[in-house]
Formats: sequence, structure tokens, C-alpha cells
Amino acid sequence: MTAAALPRRDEAARARLREVAGRAQPLTLARERLLPVAEPLGELLPGGGLRRGTVVSVEGTGATGATSLAWTLAAAATDTGEWAAAVDLHGTLGMEAAAAAGVALERFPVVRNVTSDRWATVVAALLDGITMVLAEVPCQARVGDVRRLVARARERDAVLVALPAPGATWAGDAALRITSEGGTWAGASHDAGPITGRVVRVRVGGRGEAARHRVGALALTG
Amino acid sequence: MCWCPAWAVSTARRADASLVQAPVAVVERGTRGPVVCAVSRQARAEGVTIGIRRREAEARCAGLVVVDRDPAAEARVFETVARAMEPITPTVVLERPGVLSFPTRGPSRYFGGDDQLAARVLAVAEAAGVPDARVGIADGAFAARLATRSTGPERVLVVAPGATATFLAPWPVVVLGQTFGDRPDEGAAFADLLARLGLRTLGDLAALPAPAVLGRFGLDGAHAHRLACGRSEHTAPPAPPPPDLVETCELEPPATRVDEAAFAAKALADHLIARLDALGLACDRVVVEAETEHGERHARCWRHEGGLTASALVARVRWQLDAWLADGATSVRGPGIPARSECDHDEDQATSGLTLLRLAPDRVVPATTRQLGFWGGDAAAHDRAARVLARLQGMLGHDAVATAVVGGGRAPSERVRWVPWGEPRDEAQPAPAPWPGAIPGPAPARVHPDPVPAELLDEHGAPVHVSGRGEASAPPAVLRCPALPGGGGAVVAWAGPWPHDLRWWARATRRRRAFWQVVVHDDAACLVVVEGGRAAVEAIYD
Repeated sequence: MTAAALPRRDEAARARLREVAGRAQPLTLARERLLPVAEPLGELLPGGGLRRGTVVSVEGTGATGATSLAWTLAAAATDTGEWAAAVDLHGTLGMEAAAAAGVALERFPVVRNVTSDRWATVVAALLDGITMVLAEVPCQARVGDVRRLVARARERDAVLVALPAPGATWAGDAALRITSEGGTWAGASHDAGPITGRVVRVRVGGRGEAARHRVGALALTG
Repeated sequence: MCWCPAWAVSTARRADASLVQAPVAVVERGTRGPVVCAVSRQARAEGVTIGIRRREAEARCAGLVVVDRDPAAEARVFETVARAMEPITPTVVLERPGVLSFPTRGPSRYFGGDDQLAARVLAVAEAAGVPDARVGIADGAFAARLATRSTGPERVLVVAPGATATFLAPWPVVVLGQTFGDRPDEGAAFADLLARLGLRTLGDLAALPAPAVLGRFGLDGAHAHRLACGRSEHTAPPAPPPPDLVETCELEPPATRVDEAAFAAKALADHLIARLDALGLACDRVVVEAETEHGERHARCWRHEGGLTASALVARVRWQLDAWLADGATSVRGPGIPARSECDHDEDQATSGLTLLRLAPDRVVPATTRQLGFWGGDAAAHDRAARVLARLQGMLGHDAVATAVVGGGRAPSERVRWVPWGEPRDEAQPAPAPWPGAIPGPAPARVHPDPVPAELLDEHGAPVHVSGRGEASAPPAVLRCPALPGGGGAVVAWAGPWPHDLRWWARATRRRRAFWQVVVHDDAACLVVVEGGRAAVEAIYD
């Protein structure tokens, strides 16, 4: 190829290039920044999934199914090939249940036995490189830390799933608040055999589209 | 090349003197459960061979002692042999624990010939406690390794210079499979393909014209052809690498434990391999160097067939550091090691923490046969996550970041194994074994590693017991535990008990316990364990 065949690098050519680049700049719709969540729970969420860059708080009173809901969300992230991570304050997360819910454990590292003074640092670090972070929230988490984490999640386009202590609520801003209200166990009676599963009542609230509360029933195992 | 046969067995025997006369098999966890990877002479006489499963080995040889493989200990003990060789030549290269090699030209001339050199090596190995070492001398590492395999009762085989191709010709092509380094499956498939095409020996392969082999079998084939002809393993003579590839890391504070130093080594190895990758080079020999607080310097060269990957490099650095840092209490000495080499061992050990770690590629070759994934795909997400997790490991400790592997077990807490981030997950699952007494139904979402003490009472307020026959004293009526919402309460439903009698064959470690699945009011379901008359909540279905 000869040099004469190349376009001349003058001002006009540059301006045209800039104009084309401007038109071609990727435009991301809010819909595209969604992590889709599978059917039963996904139906209750606005848009059928979790928006990246937001905080989701999953609350319950201790044995009402909040952790199982969190596994469902983590499974949604690892299903799409993304990474998820968990911050386990007391080493009590049951990984077998997570695997049963569909979480790909090889893409689900867990940071265990985190002291509450390092909690905010750990969660912030995870948000830097991992798409979904499931974080148990210590009771004495500072409001300032919580606010910084919300900002960090937005900045990094990650989803922070907050798991407050039983009975507590997430002190910061949350786009979605998913509350699990429990339900009757199937198979449970006086020595009739082990429990097999249950249907829990789930209430989804939050800001914006999610402000209108939705309530649904969800079959969970574990 | 000097080969110590069944090195894993020798290591086990040094650790435990009672094994010296017994038939021993060393097992390694493979894809189909524990597989024998080394056997002693006594066990081989009974028909135990490498590659059979543990149970089969035990069936073939009554009284077989089965030991788990410990690569770190193998490397640690082999370091004493490597050190004993240093007076003969300064350029000792470790291939893997049990095999070492060095260029013979200089030493051979010094000691007066290859035979004298081989006799010398055998004498040194014997003094270091390896009476059954074998020596092979040939042109190139591949031929020398085969020479060690075909030694007679004098345990030495010297292939005359230039006679290597003749020596190699009758060998079956299967031996080429071992030259594929990290890809043993591909190596075996390649050898199988050659055999099916009628090329049964290395001589058959060597007789083909080189361009035809390259055209039909690609670079791997060309490499194999070069080996079969007794030529050098490398097309281009390996060049000394540019000095700026040396990776150095200062340890502050000095590392006194292997895992601390290995953690630093991991970053170093990753960095080195990434830089070599960027230059299109692969490294097949690396010198691991360390300096201690007292100003001592240790260096050892490791070689790897088919180029070192980051994980292979880290494993070797870890073994080497283990050998240097092992203190008097953990260093393994057996009855076979005479006093002189024991002193040497002590003198050569690192006497204080390591302050500096250096990885210097000793020989680099063009990375022609390595092709990375074309589509970036998940690699970018993986790299991002890996950076963050490595940072957290630096902050919280190596074990703090882990991924879970679900395996077999009866209780929920026994079914999950944690693998620290960066270590192989080793997901090779043995066939699902039956676990009598395993709790059926869904897995609990919350598992307490230390069960929370609880009170499980019957309707009269007496604690519920489970007898040795697995019978309950009364149905549970009340469960109280601080871990439950509202502190527990009246039992709505229950199932069980599932009695477990663990390790009943060993009196000291025997445990008896029983599990109850209990649902209290407000539909809170949990798993209660009763052991020694005390109840505790082990897991909650949340």
C-alpha cells in the first residue's frame, strides 16, 4: 500500500473521526446492567433481576429463609459466569445448601472469620473485583462505613447483598429490600420423617420501581 | 542422571523406622480415589504395582502398610542427597524428588571417565542413605533417564557418546508420553496413536523423515522425533536468559515459616511467568535462591519437562523452602543416614528467617507449543477476582479466603472442606459412598462449626437421652437455644434420632452422638446433636 492511499491527517478528518466515535459510543440501557434471577424469585423483582451498582438487603428473623434467598441470588450471579463472594462473620454459612441452590462453588470464594473492625475494608476490597458480594453485616457496623460501601458498589458496578443479623435491618440505602417471612415445613410432623422443603412468603420492597411492595410465595429447600 | 527408585517409599521409611522391613505402598489421591504411586520391593514381589487402587493393593498383599504421599517431605529429604552430590559438581539440577541430573563433561574428565564418575555418585548416594540409587549417563536428559531404568545389577549404565540413537531404538513409544510434562493425558494419547499407526518403537519413529513427522503430528511430534533420534530436546540451543528476568523479593519481617515464604514466592512466580509469557518464552530450569538473616545464601536448580507453569513453579519453590526452613524437630532423619551427613544437614539448614527470595530462570526456550485461550472470556473476570482475593489473603492470612468443596460425611459440618484460595481444589470426587445415618432432606443453610449448647427436654422437663441402641428416652417437647429466634420454645415437629457411632474400632477416638431434626414454633427448623448427654444446635434451616 502506498502512503498516498491513506487519508490525510488533517483537521477535517479528525473532526469526522470524533463525530463517528461519538455516535458509536456504547450506550448501556439500565435493562442491560441487570443480573437476571431465575423464575420464582425473579418474578418478584422489578425487571426480573438485580441491577448492577445497587445494594440489596435480604432480611429475616433467623430461621425464616433469608440465607436460602441469598443463595438463590448468588446462584443467579455465578450462573451467568460472573464471580460472587461471601463475607462470613462467624463461619456459619452452609456451603452444601449453597451448592444445592446452584451456586458454582469454584467461583464463590468465602472470606471467613472477619472481625467487625475489618469488615468494611474487606467488603470494599471485594466490591473492587467481584460482581456480587454477599456480606453478613455486624450489629455494630458504622453508618459511615455503610454509606461508603453503597457508594463503592455504585462506582464499581457491583451488587452488594447485605445480610443483616437476624431481626436487624440494613442501615444504608438499598434499592431492594427482600424480606423472608417464613412458612410451614413440608414433611414435618411427630416422627413422620425428615423435613423435605417449605414454601416461604417473600416480601420485596425498595426504591423506585420496587417501591410498590410485592409479596409472593417461594418454594425453598434448606 | 541419578535415580532413586521408589523415593516416596524411602521417604516414608525414614520418617518411620518400623517400615524398613515391611511391604510399603505410597498412595496418592487420583481421579478414582487413592491410587498406588510407589511400592517397596517386598510389596512388588507380592504383586502390588503402580496405578492400582488402594483396596486392590491391600487385597493382593496381606500386611501391606499404606502411607499417604507427602511431596514436601520427599523434597525435604531429597535435599540431603542433592547436598551430598555438591562436592562432585556444583551444577546439580533437581528434576523431581528422587531424580537429579548434572552435565557430566567436566566431572567425568576430573574423576577419570564416566564409569569412575558413576561409581563415585553411587558411593555418595549410599553415604547419604540411598543404597539402591541408579545412575545413567547418556547424551541428553531423556536418554539418561531411560538409561537409569535399564541398569543391571551394578546399577550403572553408560551409553557411549554418539550411541544414544542405537540405545533408544528398541524402547517402546510409550516412554514418549512422559516427556509431555504437565499434559500426561495428551502424552499417552500421542503414544497410543503412534502405536496404532504401527510405530511401536522409538527406532521406527526415528526412521521417518523429520519434515513428514512435523507435517503429520505437529510440534509435539517433531519434539518426540528429535528425542527418538537421540538429538537435543531443543531446536534452538537454550540461551542464558537476560539478567533482568530475575525476580527478587525482600521479606520484611524475615519469614520463618514455610507458608509465609511460599506466599511471597507465589506472587514472585506469577510475575515471572507473566513476564516470560509476554516475551514468548517458557522456562524449563529455574534457580531458587534464598538469603537468611545471618547472611547465608542457598540456591538450588529445578528442572521441569515441558516448561514450568506458575503452579508447578510454586510447588517446587515450596518444597525447596520446606527443605531449607525445616528445623531440627521436623527434619526427617532415619536410621540409614550416617552421622557425617547429619552434621552436614544441620550446617546447611537456614539458621534464621529468610530475608530475600530470588527466582532466576536458568534456561529459557521459545514457548512454541504453548497456546493460551483465544477468547478472553472469563479470564478477565477471573484475573480481577484473583487480584482482589490475593490482596485479602495478604491482609487476613492465607487461610482466611477459601472456596468450599462439598464431599462425603454424615453431619453437615463434616461434608464441607475448605480449600484456601490459590490451592488446587482437587474436586475429584470418589464415587458417592453410602453414609449410614446421614441426615436426609435439604441441606441446612446455616451450619455452626462449634455447635451452640442447647436444652432438649421431654414433656416432663427432663433432658432427652438416646441409648446405645439408638432409642430415645422420650419424644422431645421443648428446645431452648440462644441461636434460635426467640431462644427456641415448644417443639412442633421432630424427626430422628439418627445415631452415629464414629470410629467404633478405635477406643481413644470413638464418638457416639445422635442427631434430631426439630421444628420449634414459628417454623424454625434446626438440627440438634446430642453427645455425652449434652444437646447442642449444629445447624439451622434458614
